[in-house]
Amino acid sequence: MNPHNELPNRFSDKVRAMPGGENLDACYACGTCVSKCMIQQKVEAEFNPRRLLKMVMLDKQTEAFQDPTTWMCSRCDLCYPACPQQIHISELIHSVKQLAVEAGYSSSLDVVNVDEGLCSGCGICVMACPYEAPSLFEKGVNGSTDRFAMVDGTRCMGCGICVAACPAGAIARDGVSNQEITSQIKTISSNSAPSLAIFVCDWCLRAESDLSILESYPDPVNVIHIPCSGRIDPQMALLALGRGYDGVLVCGCKPGECHYVRGTMIGSCKMEMLGRMNGQMDITGQPVRFVQIGTQERGRIREEIDAMLNSMPLRKES
Amino acid sequence: MVDAARHPNIDIRTFTEVERVDGFVGNFNILLREKSKYVIADRCNGCGECATACPIEVPNYFEMNLAPRKAAYVPMSQSVPLIYNIDMDACIHCYKCVDACGSLNAIDFSMEDKLVWEEIGAVVVATGFNHFDPSVMEEYGYGRFPNVITSMEMERLNNSAGPTHGNLIRPSDSTNPKQIAFINCVGSRDKRYNPGCSNFCCMYSIKNAVLLKQMYPDADITVYYMDIRTPSKGYEEFYDRARKMGIKFIQGRPGLITEDPETHNLFVSSEDIALGNVIEREYDMVMLNQAAVPQPDVDTMSSVLNVAQSPGGWFMEYHPKLRPMDSPTDGIFFAGACQGVKDIPASVAQGSAAASRAGRILHSDEWEIEPTVAYVWTERCVSADGKKCGLCFRSCPYGAIELEIGRPAHVITAKCHGCGGCVAECPHNAITQLHYTDAQILAQLHALLAEKPEEKILAFRCHWCSYGGADLAGTSHFEYSSNERGLRVMCSARMDPDFIFEAFRLGAGAVLYSGCHPQDCHYITGQLVGAARAERLEHLFGKLGMTAGRFRVEWISAAEGDKYARTLNEMQALLNSLSKEDLKNEILRLSPTMEQRAHKMRSLPEIVQAMEFSSNFELAMVGKVGEHESA
Repeated sequence: MNPHNELPNRFSDKVRAMPGGENLDACYACGTCVSKCMIQQKVEAEFNPRRLLKMVMLDKQTEAFQDPTTWMCSRCDLCYPACPQQIHISELIHSVKQLAVEAGYSSSLDVVNVDEGLCSGCGICVMACPYEAPSLFEKGVNGSTDRFAMVDGTRCMGCGICVAACPAGAIARDGVSNQEITSQIKTISSNSAPSLAIFVCDWCLRAESDLSILESYPDPVNVIHIPCSGRIDPQMALLALGRGYDGVLVCGCKPGECHYVRGTMIGSCKMEMLGRMNGQMDITGQPVRFVQIGTQERGRIREEIDAMLNSMPLRKES
Repeated sequence: MVDAARHPNIDIRTFTEVERVDGFVGNFNILLREKSKYVIADRCNGCGECATACPIEVPNYFEMNLAPRKAAYVPMSQSVPLIYNIDMDACIHCYKCVDACGSLNAIDFSMEDKLVWEEIGAVVVATGFNHFDPSVMEEYGYGRFPNVITSMEMERLNNSAGPTHGNLIRPSDSTNPKQIAFINCVGSRDKRYNPGCSNFCCMYSIKNAVLLKQMYPDADITVYYMDIRTPSKGYEEFYDRARKMGIKFIQGRPGLITEDPETHNLFVSSEDIALGNVIEREYDMVMLNQAAVPQPDVDTMSSVLNVAQSPGGWFMEYHPKLRPMDSPTDGIFFAGACQGVKDIPASVAQGSAAASRAGRILHSDEWEIEPTVAYVWTERCVSADGKKCGLCFRSCPYGAIELEIGRPAHVITAKCHGCGGCVAECPHNAITQLHYTDAQILAQLHALLAEKPEEKILAFRCHWCSYGGADLAGTSHFEYSSNERGLRVMCSARMDPDFIFEAFRLGAGAVLYSGCHPQDCHYITGQLVGAARAERLEHLFGKLGMTAGRFRVEWISAAEGDKYARTLNEMQALLNSLSKEDLKNEILRLSPTMEQRAHKMRSLPEIVQAMEFSSNFELAMVGKVGEHESA
């Protein structure tokens, strides 16, 4: 009898052989990953990496492929540095997802679509995407070959970074299209109190108390929810300034904690550039700021909004 | 402690460091550095006037820096002996203490460290453990959030002699906390910091929770845990009692603590494993049960005492099950957590065992040691001719070899533990090991390879690990090649290259060189000596064009019977894959080289008797003497 004669090609063995799977059996189900992750608290109650790891260990392939954890993990890697057993959980979940895709399962997430009528094939979306979901392909149109972007639905996490990046407005998904976001930017008529447009990413405010702080500000302070701070388009900020806001504040996650890997970096670069351009054009009265709020910075959003409101010069009566 | 101080046969030296340990069991010479206290011990009566007069305050380490102490101080009120001490790092030399001391004249600022040699029969090491610093774990916010404290800080806040006289208060606003959380396994069972379990923290957090519940029955107390480990007598009952008192136990390791910036209340996020949901609960105060880690100067102590460390930095015992209180060096014993984390009952048991072990030495005129000691053949040692060699000296893990150029090397028999490293290292075969002489091992080797050596796998096994591994493979009925022929030596350090050369000269099909894993070596660093040699041999055989795998090196512990069986089966598979003709040609091609390499050993006078013995043995066993010689 050789204890090392194991059944080949079991589901768990396949995962063990893939990236992240090498430490699978080290998991002692402490729940740290679940408590770090924000998906269960914010989106999907059934999301649970600890349970997915157990499913893999016990060879429950079908359950694992159908589990929302497999499809919803955005590889933000908050869990990996916290895991006491050093299991690369997000990488492991990604490996399970790859096996699920090979087996013919598909993502239940809302993903972006490309309008080929508008797409110019410039490839900016390919560079912007943190998940390598968009790619370019060529096809014949009216006798000549033309380039278009296409999005791999199993890779797209729906962050909308490409939507903001697309210069032609050819990419969109329900809920984060340019129209839907810009329609939330109200036009400011009264100019008694300082008004502020706050674009806030869905993930940076972890605590419910922080969300209620946002709601506690009265009307000339308006909150526009975007899935990721990388979704911010400088044009949206300019539009808000044009509609009469005294300033624009964009809230994103701390680098390293971004739910969509690098969206916060992309967003902060855009707003930094916009701020500089405004400075060069002498638009100094209407500040544009980007703040990065960490998971442990409970209550910081209030400080940031108050600082912004206090720093804004009172508008001249016109 | 006071009893110990009064005992006529006990001499307590505080504020003293061990700088050197020479000698051997029963005859140690140790060098002590008695650090200067700037207070003359004979004159100080412990009145404390100097501390009252001292104007300097620094954080008090004993109170976990929660209270101040003066530059003239005693570490704690129960210090034995009660002699004050001036902290020169803090002192501003105002000499108010000198005035306060008055006619006692006990303070002497010109005092210097004293170096003292002492003759000692046995040493008991009881240096304890240190606490893991949880501020490196950003997720818990220790050091940034004032109301996150460690269990040791809690211990002082809760102590009637502590800085708050036993009134448990929140550091942020000095109010009594109502909601209190304990978090277990902070820095322990965590591969990022300390992979091991800290043993006593489960009971420790339950004890603290029960204590607080008794003092503040209204308090809402929660213990976050991964597993509650209550393995000793009465422990589970205590845990049961805590649950019945209304203390909440939540299974789930918190991943994050956040703080309300205004109230400084803390929010602990964890998954409740039973519910499968993330829960966030608000607390006034959070206590981190931090891991036990080795003392920061454990490396210095290791080299001073010449004792090895187990993985994790704890001192390594002679045998983890049978001799946990003995160090590998005779006459040095361990008590308590310095050997591995343990709770109070286990520490007391080990301390008592160490004391009785030490007592046995002090009451003996003679001391029994392992019989397998090394012995120098003085006329062969080149050191006597003034040549610089010293290989034996460098290979000895115990410092048992005295070497002086111009005189032959000398083994201090009382220090030798019989690993045989020096014997195998000596290029002149000038050292032999009793009961494992070259001749004895060669005789075995010849007998094992007497018949069809090209089919045989000669396995060198060390006594403590791989021999046990082979044994386990047998008792577990793991099948492995029946062509294996095992040869036991005390340590992989004893596996002389000459034996390997001789085995290949005789035409062995394959040779396995096996021993302990480096951290398991019974002879401190014997395995390292063996491993370095094995690497050299592998390199050499590669250069000579030997088929890779015919000489194989594996580190197999006594618990790895499966690995032993697997290794042997892989080696057999290699031999099966070679054609008989090719193998025979290779053996014949390498034979002259091997003979030449083993030449020195073969010129030993004893070797003739060894050969005769082995021939007779062969004759008796197979009746085909000398067949392999002709083959």
